[in-house]
Amino acid sequence: MVQKNKIVQSDDVCACSIEGLLEEKNDENRLCNSNPNDVEVFVDPDPEKISQKFYLKRMTDGLPIIPPTKDRVLKLLNYTDLNPDETITVLPPKMGIATPEKIAINSVMAGCLPQFMPVVLNCVKSLSFEKFNIAGINATTHPVAICTILNGPLSREIGAGSGAGCFGPGNLANATIGRALRLCMINIAGAVPGVGDHATMGSPAKYSFAFGENEAENPWESLSVERGYDPSISTSTVMAVEAPQNVNDHRSKTAEDLLDTIAKTASTPGCNNSHVPGEFLLIMGPEHAKTVYNHGFSKQDVKEYLHENCIVEVDLADRGGRKIEDEWIDGDHVHITRSPEDIVLVVAGGVGRHSMICHGFGTSSESVTLPIKLKNGITPSTVEDFKK
Amino acid sequence: MLVKVVEKDVMDPVAETGDYKIDLNKVNPDFKKLTLFDNTKPGADVILEYLGENLGNTEVIRVKKPAGAPATQKQLETAAMGEVVILGLGDCGSCSSWVILDAIRLEKLGVPTISICSSSFSDFSHELAKAHGAENLNIVTVNHPIAGTKTSEIQDKTRQILSLIRKLLGNF
Repeated sequence: MVQKNKIVQSDDVCACSIEGLLEEKNDENRLCNSNPNDVEVFVDPDPEKISQKFYLKRMTDGLPIIPPTKDRVLKLLNYTDLNPDETITVLPPKMGIATPEKIAINSVMAGCLPQFMPVVLNCVKSLSFEKFNIAGINATTHPVAICTILNGPLSREIGAGSGAGCFGPGNLANATIGRALRLCMINIAGAVPGVGDHATMGSPAKYSFAFGENEAENPWESLSVERGYDPSISTSTVMAVEAPQNVNDHRSKTAEDLLDTIAKTASTPGCNNSHVPGEFLLIMGPEHAKTVYNHGFSKQDVKEYLHENCIVEVDLADRGGRKIEDEWIDGDHVHITRSPEDIVLVVAGGVGRHSMICHGFGTSSESVTLPIKLKNGITPSTVEDFKK
Repeated sequence: MLVKVVEKDVMDPVAETGDYKIDLNKVNPDFKKLTLFDNTKPGADVILEYLGENLGNTEVIRVKKPAGAPATQKQLETAAMGEVVILGLGDCGSCSSWVILDAIRLEKLGVPTISICSSSFSDFSHELAKAHGAENLNIVTVNHPIAGTKTSEIQDKTRQILSLIRKLLGNF
């Protein structure tokens, strides 16, 4: 185990004594005879070689990794005030013990900067909530990914993408934080495809899915504020969702028309929501959000409108894995959400008249928002507070 | 001077696992109440009903639970009213998980169980039970697939596991 704040030193370090240096040498080119060599130079392992080695052991997502050397792992551990071997949670199906050290190793592999460590650790902690149902999420045949939504000052400090192209490619924090979480699932939880993760086809979103909310262009309150946190508090939200689907609407001039486009796009029989209603994620582009807001719709109004209008015919909806319960049936259709609160609405992205929807896992998983805190319970204003 | 070039070690990303052990319960061969715990997966009702009709004159308690999610406390308590519980069906990742995990919850309540999982998820189900300290949990394998299959075919597949289930119940 790596000890925090300690210099990493090889056990084979040269221990030449004065006597050793002065004694007669068999080889004039040697400094002393007390060690098989005079100087040891430590070099980083070849990333190509380590990537291949780890890949063959099924410890990667298929992409090359950064070799998790002790010094690299230590840099990440310096950004948590927890002990490296503390149990954060135990993750099914393998019941692997998630410790800061294991999380840091996987984060290094993903390419995370040390400053991202508090976020990744917070996300892993979130997975232990019963309502998230990580046992089902990791093992399911459904192509459900873990989406991370960041709010607050730390999100901005680490440079999480919340504007143009925030779903990628191109942003280091988004790409590597989402990837770190996936590698933690593979190596800590044992969600190895075909072994502990039984997704029929998997999903591109399972490589990485993380972004910041575009709070500056959100006309309503942000997700974290809606969930009771002050804007000065940084949070991470984890949500089990399918890969995003676009809603292209350049022509609607009223809130109702635009929300109808979203509702029709969301109301599909093949999603889990159709037979087991639950949360779905709506990411509104700032231009769409502004149109709806300018027509007098509050965030709650949007949720109520979509809950009412996101419906699927019972005959088509009742073809999923789990039988529709009578309580979900309303006449000849089913609402894909249980209530307006099931619509998780955030604003993100840049210029353009697009929004995105992500269906959830259904009734069987709910998103978890957690504040990013120091061990003493204080919410830091900067990631550097974790180093004190 | 002899210079040795050393490649730095890399750390292992794979987590340690906990050491769990769950005491499993033995079936009383003279049981009078049998619970059929149906997770509503397609065909689960066919399998369970077939078993209910072919396991002798016992009182049958029928309880439904969600697939892919834990049974509610009330569902679990109702299921535990039986002296032995047969759970079905684990024929996907999340539903197999929660057939096994709910079976373990029942075993912890002192109720013996038999879980039915399809052949494509049998290995996973055994590994999951083992990871939770229940290596010898009763898991019976029915031929995959069940979903999308005709009722008569599901009954045929259930007939093939009937003798094993009778053996596990100990009264045949």
